[in-house]
Amino acid sequence: MKTQIEKFLIESTVKTLEDLCFMYQEPELKDAQENLPLEAAAEVKYRSDDFTGKLLIETRGGLFSAIATNILSIDDPSTKQKKDALGEIANIICGNVVPSLGEGGREYKIEPPRSLNKDDLLKEEWREEPIAGITLNFNDGRVDIKLFVDGYSAAKEKKE
Amino acid sequence: MALNTLVVDDSSVMRSIIIKTLKLSGLPLGDIWEAKNGEEGLRILQDKWIDLALIDIHMPVMDGEEMLTLMRENDQYENLPVIVVSSESAPGKIEKMLKLGATFIHKPFTPEILKEVIVAVTGVRNEDTD
Repeated sequence: MKTQIEKFLIESTVKTLEDLCFMYQEPELKDAQENLPLEAAAEVKYRSDDFTGKLLIETRGGLFSAIATNILSIDDPSTKQKKDALGEIANIICGNVVPSLGEGGREYKIEPPRSLNKDDLLKEEWREEPIAGITLNFNDGRVDIKLFVDGYSAAKEKKE
Repeated sequence: MALNTLVVDDSSVMRSIIIKTLKLSGLPLGDIWEAKNGEEGLRILQDKWIDLALIDIHMPVMDGEEMLTLMRENDQYENLPVIVVSSESAPGKIEKMLKLGATFIHKPFTPEILKEVIVAVTGVRNEDTD
């Protein structure tokens, strides 16, 4: 199941960045891209009748600015515009991927995206194991996305 | 015919993307109005002449489904071309919007898709080619 969800995450992320930002995935992660410092992060929470969770998106290597520049067609986006653009990308990816988690026909509520700072990312909730996580490189930067289902880690431990 | 267009989405980024795409499409555009939710959208519909509405589903205050339902109950807007632009993937929700006479575009979308659907629902043609 994890592999299938990661496949959906990759497809959705590549299509979203291609269609809306005209950014195309590079075939291989370069060495320099592996140790890039975090520049921005955003989360989108979702819920259905049966489960809840969240999607985390992180950018490195200039993608935070490049996404806003391309999506809005402006040269020098403000910090707010960059945060809004990243949040919108996260929102679309979440809306596309979350229905693959459960049975077809279930309805989901996707909450508005929220920008995160470094302190937010140190919180306990982000130490949970994601149900899927991907890293993709675009331009000279990279995007990391993790999808969490609340209670997944506990359920997995119980099973093991 | 120049299309007066209403764009309803709680995301300012998505409204910008849609408006940018509309302007690049070469379609004959009139005034473009923006609203952050269905309630604001309905107010603009009451005040302005609108030929086409592009609306999101998930919005605070009043979502796209409620807005569309109220529009269809009003004689003035019952036949107004409506395109729902959403990342919604639940078939039940999409089906409801289609039954209310909307056309659905899934986010993300390409400029070409948006243009094709606008031409299909409004019958307008590209100014450059006609």
